[in-house]
Amino acid sequence: MSDTIQFRVQDFDCPTCASTVERALANVDGVEDVEVHFTTGRVEIDYDDSLADDETFAQAIENQGYTPQRA
Amino acid sequence: MNSQSLVRYYRKHRQALVTATSGLLYAVGWSLGQVTSSDAASAAVLVLAAVVGGYDIARTAYHEVRSKTLGIKTLVVLAAVGAIAIGEYWEAAAVVFLFSLGSHLEGRTMRKTRTALQDLLELAPDTATVRRDGEQQEVPARDVEEGEVVIVKPGEKIPVDGVVVGGESAVNQAPVTGESTPVHKADGAEVYAGTVNQEGALDVRTTGAGSDTTLQRIIRRVEAAQEAQSPTESIIDRFAKYYTPGVLALAVVAYAVTQNAILSLTLLVIGCPGALVIGPPVSIVSAIGNAARSGVLLKGGEHLERAGKLDLVAFDKTGTLTRGETAVAGVEGFGVEDDDVLELAAIAEKKSEHHLADAILDAARQRPRPATDGGTTAQQTAGTIPDADTRSIPDPDDFDVVAGKGVVAHQGGREIIVGNRALLAEQDVEIPVDVAASVRDREQRGETAVHVVRDGTIVGVIAMRDELREAAPGVVAALQDAGIETVMLTGDNERTATAVADEVGIDEYRAALLPEDKQAAIEGFQDDGHIVAMVGDGINDAPSLATADVGIAMGAAGTDTAIETADMALMADDLDRIPYAVLLSKATRWNVLENVALAVLTVTVLLAGVLTSYVTLASGMLVHEASVLAVILNGMRLLRY
Repeated sequence: MSDTIQFRVQDFDCPTCASTVERALANVDGVEDVEVHFTTGRVEIDYDDSLADDETFAQAIENQGYTPQRA
Repeated sequence: MNSQSLVRYYRKHRQALVTATSGLLYAVGWSLGQVTSSDAASAAVLVLAAVVGGYDIARTAYHEVRSKTLGIKTLVVLAAVGAIAIGEYWEAAAVVFLFSLGSHLEGRTMRKTRTALQDLLELAPDTATVRRDGEQQEVPARDVEEGEVVIVKPGEKIPVDGVVVGGESAVNQAPVTGESTPVHKADGAEVYAGTVNQEGALDVRTTGAGSDTTLQRIIRRVEAAQEAQSPTESIIDRFAKYYTPGVLALAVVAYAVTQNAILSLTLLVIGCPGALVIGPPVSIVSAIGNAARSGVLLKGGEHLERAGKLDLVAFDKTGTLTRGETAVAGVEGFGVEDDDVLELAAIAEKKSEHHLADAILDAARQRPRPATDGGTTAQQTAGTIPDADTRSIPDPDDFDVVAGKGVVAHQGGREIIVGNRALLAEQDVEIPVDVAASVRDREQRGETAVHVVRDGTIVGVIAMRDELREAAPGVVAALQDAGIETVMLTGDNERTATAVADEVGIDEYRAALLPEDKQAAIEGFQDDGHIVAMVGDGINDAPSLATADVGIAMGAAGTDTAIETADMALMADDLDRIPYAVLLSKATRWNVLENVALAVLTVTVLLAGVLTSYVTLASGMLVHEASVLAVILNGMRLLRY
C-alpha cells in the first residue's frame, strides 16, 4: 500500500544539504516520491509501506548528519 | 546527570560539542607550535583537531559522493586532506574548524527562520471538550466531528473552527487574523481554531476540525509559499549548476599551471556558491513567516518579488475603503417631521431588496418610541436592540420597484415615492430649490440621497452613507509616502466619488464603474506601464484581483477561495496591513538584491585574492563562512520587519 509520511529537519544548513538528503531518501527501497525543502525543513515521502517504514527513513536522514522529527 | 541523559545531551548538542572540541584542539596545536619547538606535537594535535571536527563532515561528504552530488562538504574534506598531505596542518585544522563553526551557526539561525512557522503549528490545542451522550468528554481535537458542540472555557484556546451557539465572550483572534484587539463573539459568530477565548464560556458548533481549519489552511499555504522558488532563486539555481563545475575546472587548471596545491584547494573551498544560493530563500522565507504572524498571507517568492515592484494600488470603494455597511446618515423633512419621512420611506421600501432599503428600514425600526422617549435619532447599530423595542412598519398595499431609480408604493390611500432625480422626473414631481440644494449638499459630502414623495409632493430627503474605515486616510497617506500612486474604483456617481476621494485623500478615482469596467481600468493602468495591486473583497472583485499584478483580498479568514487564490490575503478586514504588506514586499526585494550583491562581491574579492596569493585556505574559509552568515542574518532582519 502506498503511504505518505512527513518529517521536519530543522538543522539543514545549506540548500545542497537538503538535496543530498533528498537523493539519499530516493535511494531507499520502496520510496516512490520524495521532496525535501531546504527553506522549511519539510520532508515528504511517498512510499510503499510493505518495503519501508518510518524508521528506515529516520535512519537515512540521520546518516546524512541531520536530525529528523516526525511531523 | 546520569549516563542516559548525558548521552541525550551529547546527541542534541553534538555539532556544538564537536565544533568546540575541534576549536580547542586547534588552539592548543597552534599554541604548541608557537611556544615550543616541538613541531611534531603541534602537528599531531592539529591533525587531531581536523579529524575530530572533520569526521561528521566526511561522513556527509561520503554520502554526497555516493549520491553523485558535488557539495561543499566534499570540497572541504578534499581541501583538508590535501592540506595535511602537503604538511599544512595548521591550514587543515583551521579550515575544518571554521567550516564546522560556520555550519553550526548557519543551522542554528536557519532553525530560527523555520520556527517562525513552528509557532503557528503549535497554536491549535490538541484536545477539545465536547458534549457527547449528554456528558462532557475530552477528546483529541482532530477527532471532533462536524456539527458537534465544543465547550470552550475562558482563557482556553478554541480547538476547532465553528459557529457560536451559546455564551458570549471576547476572542483574541490575533494568531489567525492579526487583529490586535479582541473581537466580541455571541450567537452566530464564526470562531477559528487557535484563537483565544478570553472572557466567558462559549459553546461552539464545529464546522471544521483537524486539518480542515482556517489555521491549518494558513499553515499549508504559508509552507507552500515558502517552498516555492522565486524567479531570482531559479536564476541562481540554474547558474549554480554551471558555476560549481566551473570552479572545479578552474582549480584543476590552476594546479596544472602553477603546481600550487594550496592555491587550487583554496579555489575549491571559496568557490562554493554558499551565500549566493542561501541568501534569497532566507529573505523570502523570513518575510513570508513574518507576514503570516501579522495576518497577511503571501503566495510565495514570485508574488513577493513582483509586489516589491508595485507603483500603483487600486482600491475598490465599497467594503474596502468603506465598511460596506450602508446606514442612514441624515433625514430632512420638508413640511413634515423627520421621523414621519423615515416612516413613509420605510413603508414604501419594506418589500424591496435593495441595500439602501435595508438601511432605511433599520433606521426606521430603531427610531426611539415617541411614547417613551422623544429624543432625536441617535444612530444605533443593527442587532444591539432587542426586537421588543423596535417599531413595526406597516406593509404597503402595493409597490413597484423601478430598477436603478427607486420605488413607487401605495398604503392606506397614500402614494409614496422614494427615489432619485430620474424617478421624480419620470413621475412628474417637481423638485423645489431648497430640496435640490439639500440633495446636492449631501452628495458633496459623499452620501447617497433619495427623495421621499407623498401624494405628489416632496416631503423629505434621506441621506445614506457607507462609513469610511477609520484607517483609510492613513493607509492612503502611507502608500503615497512610499511613492505609490493610489486610485479608487467605484460604482458611485461622480459627485459622491469626488467627495469620498477627497475625504480619503486618494490621488485619483474612477466613478460609475460596473464590475467589468474595474477590470478594464486595471488593464489600462498596466498598459500605462504600472505594476498594479488591486485591493478588494476577494469574491465580487475576483476578476479585477486576478487581472492585477498583485491581487490583495481583504477579510480572507473564513473565505477559503480567497486564502487559496489571492496573491496576498489579509486575514482580517484590516486595511492597516496594506502599507505593511506592500512595504514588506519592497524591503524583501531589496534584501534579496543586497544578499545577491554581497555574495557576488565576496566571491569576486576572494577569487582575486586567491589568484594574487593574498588569500590562504584558512582566511578564504573564514571570509566564505562569514559571508554566508552575513546573508542569513541580513535575511532574518525581515522576521522583525
